[in-house]
Amino acid sequence: VIGSAADIAQQIAKGAISAAAVLERCKALIEAKDPDLNCFTAKTFERAEREAAAIDGMYAEGKALPPLAGVPYAVKNLFDVEGMVTLAGAKINAGNAPAASDATIVARMSRAGAILVGALNMEELAYGFLTENYHYGITRNPRDRTRGAGGSSGGSAAAVGAGMLPITLGSDTSGSIRVPASLCGVFGLKPTYGRLSRSGTYPFVNSFDHVGPFANSVLGLALAYDAMQGPDPDDPACAQRPIEPAGMSLSLSRGVRIGILGGWFHEWADPAARRSVQLAAAALGATEWTELKSAEVARAAAYIVTGAEGGALHRPRLIERYDDFGPSARSRLVAGSLIPASWVTQAQRVRQSAYREAMNLFERFDLLIAAAAPAVAPRVGQETLLINGRSIPTKAGLGVLTQPISCIGLPVCTVPVWPDEGDSPAERALPVGVQLIGAPWREDVCLAAARTLEQARVAEVRPP
Amino acid sequence: MTESRDNPLEPYVRSALALQGYVFDEAEVAEIAAQFSRLEAIARTVLDWPLPFASESAPVFRP
Repeated sequence: VIGSAADIAQQIAKGAISAAAVLERCKALIEAKDPDLNCFTAKTFERAEREAAAIDGMYAEGKALPPLAGVPYAVKNLFDVEGMVTLAGAKINAGNAPAASDATIVARMSRAGAILVGALNMEELAYGFLTENYHYGITRNPRDRTRGAGGSSGGSAAAVGAGMLPITLGSDTSGSIRVPASLCGVFGLKPTYGRLSRSGTYPFVNSFDHVGPFANSVLGLALAYDAMQGPDPDDPACAQRPIEPAGMSLSLSRGVRIGILGGWFHEWADPAARRSVQLAAAALGATEWTELKSAEVARAAAYIVTGAEGGALHRPRLIERYDDFGPSARSRLVAGSLIPASWVTQAQRVRQSAYREAMNLFERFDLLIAAAAPAVAPRVGQETLLINGRSIPTKAGLGVLTQPISCIGLPVCTVPVWPDEGDSPAERALPVGVQLIGAPWREDVCLAAARTLEQARVAEVRPP
Repeated sequence: MTESRDNPLEPYVRSALALQGYVFDEAEVAEIAAQFSRLEAIARTVLDWPLPFASESAPVFRP
């Protein structure tokens, strides 16, 4: 498997290996592993070779190298990449003109020295928690090929989990970074709503769309996050805040107050998910339970706003080209476009109310923890999840624990925990991620807690 | 067809589809009505949630 981003950058900076050699190793891993998993929808090896040569040229000239110099990465195929068509997992986009320039955060990754090797599979239009894409195929779970990678950023999580890449980028509207990170056993960061620019990314639900990294180490996650920060007037939701680096200090302050989310988050966590939370809580010294009482209604509000905004966004093409959308997405999108305005307005009022409740919780706690998915990865095609005796459709149910949090925009680092729970050896070998949820703009606390768990080996990206 | 006829929200869905400029066959209308019913069931939680009269929407627009 590929090494961590920090190790790769350090080796290149020391001259122990060239960026070109790292790229060759990465390409070999992709060619060997991807045919079984279907993570990639496009490879950008020519661009990668140019970028790697530029890094090696800087080294040869004795110039200081940027923080991600020579680190290979890839992006969910809803990020604009200059010269490539931005698919967003949809056939309806395949005939669009190629992107004229990179998305803002792709350009920032390039400036930080990272090497772009390709675009990754996702759920069509980011609408769903699976990556069983009707047009571009199923992305399989690197931990068990009979199971899905989760979604919608399934290719991004699976590529890291398989050991092909140390870093990938994805997006998260309702859980699309956190759910696949949980199912594939990798680290993922959904920053505060508005922290990272979405300019040059294919939209889904403006009210909730976030972008962020996946990685095989917490430091890699932090390095990518820091490289992508900064204001961007091209994204109206992007906070005009200065860069607040998190990677410089990944140690958790003494006396940090941690609450374990009960109520909704406990009810919808099966024994494996509960065990993951228990392991993380014990390692962090957390003992106090608390509750976000509006979790259920926040999830419902997110559903309504998602349906309405997603439906309205695609309505013109649903009228013109309904048959070119996949069957899983099209009827849901049309139904969403019929939602009355009064429901949406009420949902946005609920969202504000839930946010205020969370802010009250953050007067008592610095960090909240909950499972990132209700269970381990479901089998490909599995239609329902059985959670503590209650059945829920897989497609919607995988996001039951993430949706309330993205509804109110809180930063979350998802860490891979291995609960060793289940009915079979295969199930007991699977991870369930834990959400480390911070107050707005406190990604540093989330990442520091993640690093603590990584150092305790409670959270780790295991070899596939 | 049976599912479509049994769905009490189907008249709303038909009217709203026409208002928005969609044209679908009966099977598609039935499927969309079924999806809309799921949304409506979830919306009840939101619509029934007690809020102070003056509570505002989450802000989006920043001039």
